[in-house]
Amino acid sequence: MSLNAEPFVRGRSGRIRLHVLPTKKFKTYAVVLYAGVPLSEAEITRVALLPFVLGRGTASYPETLALREKLDAMYGAHFGYDVGKRGDHQVVQFRLDIIGDRFVSSDTPLLREALNLLGEVLTAPALEDGRLVARYVESEKKTVAQKLDAIINDKIRYAEKRCLEEMFRSEPYRLPALGRKEDLEGIDAASLHETYRRWLRIAAFDLYVVGDTSLEEVKSLVEGAFRLPDGPPGIYAPSLPRQAPPEPRTVEERLDVTQGKLNMGLRTPVTYAGPDYPALLVYNGLLGGFPHAKLFVNVREKASLAYYASSRLDGHKGVIMIQTGIEIANYGKTLGIIREQLEAMRRGDFSGDDLAKTKEMLANQLTALRDNPFDRIWFDFNASVAGVEHTAEELLAKIRAVTPDDVVRVAQTVGLDTVYFLRDRKEETVHARG
Amino acid sequence: MPAVEYPRLEETLYHERLDNGLDVFVLPKPGFTKTFAVFATRFGSADNRFRLGDGREFAVPDGLAHFLEHKMFEEPDGDVFARFAANGASANAYTGFDQTVYLFSATRNVDRCLDILLDFVQNPYFTDANVEKEKGIIIQEIQMYRDNPDWRVYFGLLEALYHRHPVRIDIAGTPESVSSITKELLYECHRVFYHPSNMHLFVVGGVDPERTMETVRANQARKRFDPPAGLERLSADEPEDAKEPMRQATLAVAMPKCYVGFKEAGGNLSGERAIRRDLAARIVLDALFSRSSPVYQEMYDEHLVFDSFGAQFTSGPGYAFSAIGGDTRDPGEMVRRVTEAMERTAERGLDPDVFERIRRKKIGAHLRLWNSPEAVAGEFVRFRHRGGDLFRLVELYESLTLEEANGWLRAHVHPSRRAVSVMRGDAS
Repeated sequence: MSLNAEPFVRGRSGRIRLHVLPTKKFKTYAVVLYAGVPLSEAEITRVALLPFVLGRGTASYPETLALREKLDAMYGAHFGYDVGKRGDHQVVQFRLDIIGDRFVSSDTPLLREALNLLGEVLTAPALEDGRLVARYVESEKKTVAQKLDAIINDKIRYAEKRCLEEMFRSEPYRLPALGRKEDLEGIDAASLHETYRRWLRIAAFDLYVVGDTSLEEVKSLVEGAFRLPDGPPGIYAPSLPRQAPPEPRTVEERLDVTQGKLNMGLRTPVTYAGPDYPALLVYNGLLGGFPHAKLFVNVREKASLAYYASSRLDGHKGVIMIQTGIEIANYGKTLGIIREQLEAMRRGDFSGDDLAKTKEMLANQLTALRDNPFDRIWFDFNASVAGVEHTAEELLAKIRAVTPDDVVRVAQTVGLDTVYFLRDRKEETVHARG
Repeated sequence: MPAVEYPRLEETLYHERLDNGLDVFVLPKPGFTKTFAVFATRFGSADNRFRLGDGREFAVPDGLAHFLEHKMFEEPDGDVFARFAANGASANAYTGFDQTVYLFSATRNVDRCLDILLDFVQNPYFTDANVEKEKGIIIQEIQMYRDNPDWRVYFGLLEALYHRHPVRIDIAGTPESVSSITKELLYECHRVFYHPSNMHLFVVGGVDPERTMETVRANQARKRFDPPAGLERLSADEPEDAKEPMRQATLAVAMPKCYVGFKEAGGNLSGERAIRRDLAARIVLDALFSRSSPVYQEMYDEHLVFDSFGAQFTSGPGYAFSAIGGDTRDPGEMVRRVTEAMERTAERGLDPDVFERIRRKKIGAHLRLWNSPEAVAGEFVRFRHRGGDLFRLVELYESLTLEEANGWLRAHVHPSRRAVSVMRGDAS
C-alpha cells in the first residue's frame, strides 16, 4: 500500500501555509497550527507565554469560563497548546481535536466552529485598553513559572534538560522552550502585546487539517476567521550542527534521589536534511531505539543494571541523548558498558540480523503514522521545517537501502559531548559529618 | 462467526469463544495499516490471595503479577522482543490492579505476530538464574517510581484510604517482596491465572476477521490445557471508613502535591451497574473540577492550583475511589475548597444545564477514542474485565439521569471515608 495515497493538498491564505488531507478514514477533524520563530534569548520567555494568554479568552469569549464552555458544547472539542523547539526555532503549537459532524447532531458544522475559534484565539484575543488583558498575563506568568519549577519533579526529564543545558551552554538552544523564570517578572501586558504584534508579523505559520474536508473549504473558512498582517509566509532556516569536543565533559549533580540518572549527550553533523539521515536513524535504532538495541540488551538484559536504557535522536539538531536510571554505585560500570557500545557501533560490530530488525521496526513506525491524523501532521511538519520534501514512504525506501558501511560512516561522526550524572546527597552528607 | 454491528459508531465487532474458554474479539478497521492486538488476563497486583479447587490457599508476595509479566518475555530460544522485531512489530505489556495486558502493534506479518503473542504468553520459561537476574531490573523500576512524586502521592492516598485491600500495595511490590519470588510460585500463578478461560484476546486494525479468527483457532487447537484450577479470589475484609485521614511524605519537589479522595462504601458493584456508577462519577467530577468549572477557575485564578489539577474516579473488584488534586501551593486550602464544593453540590444538586453540557462533552470525547485502535483495545479489555461493554457506552451515557448523578455524589461524600495525601519538598 502506498504511504502517500492521501497526500496533503497545499495552499496559502495570506501568511498562512495550508496543508489539508481530505479523508473519511477518521471519525474526527484534526487541526494543528504551528507558529515558529528563531530562538531568541531576548524574546523566548515572552513568546512562550503567548499561547497561555491567548488561550484565556477571545474577542467573542473574553471570559475563560465562557470559552471553555463553548469547547464543551462542541461535543467536548479538545483544545490544547504547547511550546517546543525544532532546531533553532521556538515553535508554538495549537491543536484541536473535534468529532466529525456525521457522528453527532450539531447546528453548525464543527470544523467551521473550530477554525473560527482558532482564528480568534490567534488573531482576535480578548483585549483591554487595546492590549492583552493584564490579569490574564499576570495569571499565566505564574502558570509558566510553576511549569518551569516543576521540571525538577520528574527526574528523568530534569536530567535530560540539565544535560542539554550543559551541552549547549553557549547557544540559545540551551534555553528550555518555555523560557526562563527570571524573565517572567519583567513582563507586563504592554510588553507582551508588543511581542504579540511582532510575532504575528514574523512567525512562520503552518495550518494542518486532516478530516472529511477539502483545501477549498479550509481556505474559505480560514479567510473568514484569521486576520493576520499581509506578507509572504515565514521560513525555517536550517540549524548548523557542531562536532563534539575530543574529550567529553563530565557534570555531576546532587539531589535528594534514590536512583541515579545517567544521561549522555552526543553530537553528529548529520541532520534531518542531510543525505545520511536515514543511516543516522538506523544507527540510533541499533544503539538504543528499540528493545533489541545494544543499550537495552547490554545494560538491562545482560547486566541487570537498569529498568530503562535507551537513546533518542533529535534529527533537527544532530543530537543523540542516551538515558538510563541506575543504582548510584553502578555509575562507573554502566558508563563503561555504554562507551563500549558506542565503540562497537564505530567498529561496525552489529549483526546483519540486528540491522534487518532495526529496519523492520523503523518501517513499522513510519507505516503506522498513516493511522493517526496527528502523527501524519507531525511527520509532514518535521520534514517541512527541515526543508525536505519526502513522504514517509520515500524515507522508508532510503532506510531499506542503508548498508552496514553507511551505519559505520555515521557512527564515526557521532561524538560523546557531555556525561551528566544526577545522584544522591549521601556521600556528601557523610563528608560533612566526617 | 457472530458479528454485531454498531451503526452509530460505524463499527462491526466479531466475537467467538473457543472450546478452551478463550474469548476472541476482532474489530476490523478498513483503511487502517496498523494492527493492534492485546492479550489480557484477569490477574493483577490485587489478586494476591486465592484458593484453588484442590483446597490450597495462597498469599503471594507483593509484586508477583508484575514480576510474572516481566518474565513472560523470556523464552528458551531468546528474547521475545527480538522475534517481534524480526516481523517489524513492537511489543509491550503492563500490569494493573486487576489485569495484566500483553500487546503488539504491527503493520505486516500480523498472523505470525499473533502466533508469537499467543505462544509467549502461554509458554512460561522460568529458571532460578533468569528469575534472579530479573530482580535487579525490577528493583531499579521500583526505585524509579520511588523518585516519582506523582506516583508516590497517588499511592499515599490509597494507603490512607484502604486498611487491607491490596489496591493499597504498589503494583511492582518492594525490593524485599520481589526478592522472595521463586520460579515455582511463578509457574503456579501462570497455571492458574493464564488459563484461556481467564483471558481475552482483542485484535483491532487492518485485518480480515475470518482469517484472523482462523489463525487464533489453529494456534489454540495445537495446545493442551489442564482444566481450570477452580480459582476463587479471597477478598480482603475492608472496613468502610478510611484508614487514616492524612499521609505525608517528602521528596525533591518544587511545590507540594496533594490529592484528596473518598472511598466508596460497599464498593463491590459489577457489570453494568458498576459502569453506570463510574459514568455518573465521571460526569459529576468533570462538572465540578474540569477546566470549564467555576471551582477550578477560581482556584486557578488565586494560584492555588495549576493545570496539573484534575479529578479521577477509579474502580475495580472491591474498591472504588475518587482522587482529586495536583500541584498546589497550599494543600490544606485546596482540600478545604474541594471538599466544600463536593458537599455543597451534594446538598443542592448539579445544575441540569451543566449536567447536559458535560454529558455531551463526555460523549464527544468517547467518540474520539474510536480513532485510536490502541485506546479502543485497552479500554475494551478493561471494560470486559468489569463485565461491561465498551460499545454500549454512548447509550449508557445517554440513559444516565441527573438524579443518578446527584445520588452518586450524595452517597460518595462522606467525611469518614475521606483521606488526603501530601508530598512536600525536602525541608533540608
